[in-house]
Amino acid sequence: MSLTRRHMLTGTIGTFAWLLALCPRRARAAEDFVEQWIGRKATPSDRLKLVMPAEFSTGYTVPMDISVDSPMTEADHVKSVRVFAPKNPLVEVVQFHFVQGRSLPRVSTRIRLAAPQHVVALAEMSDGSLLTAKAWVAVASNGCL
Amino acid sequence: MTAPIPRVMVPGSVARNEVFAVKAIIQHQMETGLRTDSSGVTIPRKIINRFVCRYGGIEVFRVDLHEAVSANPFFEFHLRATESARLEFIWEEDGGATYSLSHDMVVA
Repeated sequence: MSLTRRHMLTGTIGTFAWLLALCPRRARAAEDFVEQWIGRKATPSDRLKLVMPAEFSTGYTVPMDISVDSPMTEADHVKSVRVFAPKNPLVEVVQFHFVQGRSLPRVSTRIRLAAPQHVVALAEMSDGSLLTAKAWVAVASNGCL
Repeated sequence: MTAPIPRVMVPGSVARNEVFAVKAIIQHQMETGLRTDSSGVTIPRKIINRFVCRYGGIEVFRVDLHEAVSANPFFEFHLRATESARLEFIWEEDGGATYSLSHDMVVA
């Protein structure tokens, strides 16, 4: 088969269509996961930042930075942030509790990941609302054994 | 297994209301309970399951750890300098053992 312009064009369009069809499903995955796991809806939010390397050589010690954009006032503060690794044999990773006026919702640690996956963070705000964010991490080795 | 050794890094002194970083680490295997030994017997879980930071006797930061926190758990977190008071750091291990450190924080 010769590679004509028509083949290239249809191939490219097909790939894009496929990616577009795939994206909304992927984007929803974190929210769906949260809803299934804790039975409540969470809103994806830029205020919650989960920063992790997109690729990492080992699953044993993957660095993770979490911060929440919050005034941390009596009326509007972050109570806690939970982290989940849905592809780990044990999904719950860690939960940080902050105290309004005393600590800031900004923390770094290192976690284990069993496989390449979206890591999910869930922040519980003082008004009871839930914010969620996710980060894709491709680990090259299983860190859970 | 060697006895867990906790270490903490805090600034020498800070101005009132300033935010300062605390780095806390403990040497600990964090045995997940998922591994088996050479004869196929599961090695029981033994992890640090909680870390608490108190400032002047008040809890200001707490972490609930599960199996997926890496060995030698490390946290960097941020506190507001409200007063000259004692900072206490407590690590709680499965089985009830605790390890702790304290530091007298000077707020200028």
